Amino acid sequence: MTLTWLHDRFSSARWRLGPCTLAPWLLGVCTLVLVGCGGNPPPATPPAPLATDSLRAQQVADSVAAAARRDSVLAAARRDSAVARSRADSIVRAERERARADSVRAEVLRDAAEGTAPDSVPSGLDAARAAALARPIHFDLDRADLTAEATPLLDEKLAILRANPWLEIQIEGHCDERGPDEYNLALGNRRAAAAKRYLVEHGVAEVRIAIISYGEERPVDPEHTEDAWAKNRRAEFVVTRGGR
Amino acid sequence: MVRGAWDVARVALVALLAWPSVVGAQDTVRVESGVRIGITYTPGSRPGIAVVAPAAAVFDSVRAMVARDLDYSDRFEVVERLPDTAALRLGAVRAATYVVMVDTAGTGASAVALRLIEVATNRSLMRRQLPLQAVGTTAWRGAVHAASDEIVRAAMGTPGIAATSLLFVQGGRLMRIDADGANGTVVRSAGRPALSPAWSPDGRWIAYTAFVRSGQPIVLQELATGRRAVVPTTEYGLNITPEFSPDGRRLAFAHGTEAGTDVYVYDVERGCCVQRLTAGRFSDNLSPTWSPDGQRLAFISSRARSPQLYVMAADGTGQEVLGRFDFGATGPTAGPAWSPDGQAIAFQRDVDGTPQVFVLDLATRAVRQITGSGRNEDPTWAPDGRHLAFASTRGGARDLWVVDLETGRLRQLTSGGGARLPAWSPRLSLSEEHRE
Repeated sequence: MTLTWLHDRFSSARWRLGPCTLAPWLLGVCTLVLVGCGGNPPPATPPAPLATDSLRAQQVADSVAAAARRDSVLAAARRDSAVARSRADSIVRAERERARADSVRAEVLRDAAEGTAPDSVPSGLDAARAAALARPIHFDLDRADLTAEATPLLDEKLAILRANPWLEIQIEGHCDERGPDEYNLALGNRRAAAAKRYLVEHGVAEVRIAIISYGEERPVDPEHTEDAWAKNRRAEFVVTRGGR
Repeated sequence: MVRGAWDVARVALVALLAWPSVVGAQDTVRVESGVRIGITYTPGSRPGIAVVAPAAAVFDSVRAMVARDLDYSDRFEVVERLPDTAALRLGAVRAATYVVMVDTAGTGASAVALRLIEVATNRSLMRRQLPLQAVGTTAWRGAVHAASDEIVRAAMGTPGIAATSLLFVQGGRLMRIDADGANGTVVRSAGRPALSPAWSPDGRWIAYTAFVRSGQPIVLQELATGRRAVVPTTEYGLNITPEFSPDGRRLAFAHGTEAGTDVYVYDVERGCCVQRLTAGRFSDNLSPTWSPDGQRLAFISSRARSPQLYVMAADGTGQEVLGRFDFGATGPTAGPAWSPDGQAIAFQRDVDGTPQVFVLDLATRAVRQITGSGRNEDPTWAPDGRHLAFASTRGGARDLWVVDLETGRLRQLTSGGGARLPAWSPRLSLSEEHRE
């Protein structure tokens, strides 16, 4: 339905562009239009007589307007396919979220089983790639923006995630023990979100990455030193759906 | 000047400890440096009260509990135990304005009777019977505490806080302890921590953040049965700092997504209608606390980078910063708790990188620092509006302490370390009576 409607719009636009094939000074616009047309041959249209400058000016205006219309049609087409993609994504996301919600409710109801299930599953990656994917990134005190050291580490993960499209991960945000416990949960959430945003902006499907915050609840180093705090301000990457 | 006031307070506190009539001091009362209370008192300015009982085990345990409850109310000077009822001649009890008699008088020996007598007039102000068969149970302890609270009400016009308990987190477990430091129990023990416990106003339900494998939902749990339910929509993302509205119909909490953390309200009564109240994109809005009339919410927001105290109407309108806030100078702020009388908000704020407990007076917007020794966090109000419990490292490990804002008196509530995020219950005796 959408496609038929688009085809109609394209045809009528092409009709009104007929005169430009005869006007060399309009070649730029035509080229633009032809590129925009993709592989479709232009329809045979009767050439319009060129009478006066004012008519020519009118034609220029018409064709420019038509080109603009064409651009907007193309933009609409691109938008539509993006919408379709994101609709498919959101269906997957809804399914994942429903499954997640079910497991959350189930875990709360059978309290005793909590903590026994493993967080991660085998990734199916070789040891080097598994280690690169799992390597944590670190943050500055009370900050959630990515540091210069963090981005190359994320780029490594990016390559692995692109090459292994079956992998799904959970990013865990963590904080050091300073700062209020509850605020740190929100801060850890922002840290995990920042790492996720980077990966998604670089092409990883949004549905493949879940985030969670542990605040200051899970330090890797329990000491109360600057060194320990620096280690504890981190995001961890855990495989939740492996492959192979 | 602060120092001077503090010295006076310290002298007063030392004097109180030296006062020979303090009962129930044991190891839980300490004079603590670093408390800055402007108000001081002199021993003897509060009415003396004596608790007397015959020398029998059951009476003695009641006497000890009541004496301690009255002491912890911080409204009386508890006079040293008198030898026994028979020897007591009220007129001779010079130090006491009131006497509490614990015996079986008029019960046919089937119950313990508690009577509050005003010494000057020899008038009985209050009388309550506790059926003997329940001795030793939690219900018995609750009944004795409730009687203590009635004694405070009869003498002072407002009830005490003995029949209350506190929820807190210790080592990832959700714990409960009575306000006198006794009867510690585990409410929830799981492999993963539970955080941010909150009481429903009727004391029957609690809400908390549960850490499970794939999320942090807010769980409602009925205390009597252990029955649990997940608050709808909190199956996703981060869900923290739940707080029941004073009428118990709504639950405010903070929900974190990839775009930051915001305050939401869930309609507990109808089981629906989650409403978002803040929209701080990529900032954190959390720790909502209701005004007692349910019309407003104070909360923490990092919208101006440094987390500070804000207030808004319960529908999310009229958001404004609360209290004086000097950018770059005022320390990060957290954990607000609106007082039961609506007049003040307690919170924690970093001073030179160390959290301290403060109280903001809403009428004047003046801020008063309450603590100064060690790290002091997570204040929660007792239902009498004059006591605060908070987590403090002043004794070494992080434990819960209680401060009386009127006198500055401190006592340690828990031991063993690792205690945090306390939530003081409403008066449980009242809800219990309501149920029966």
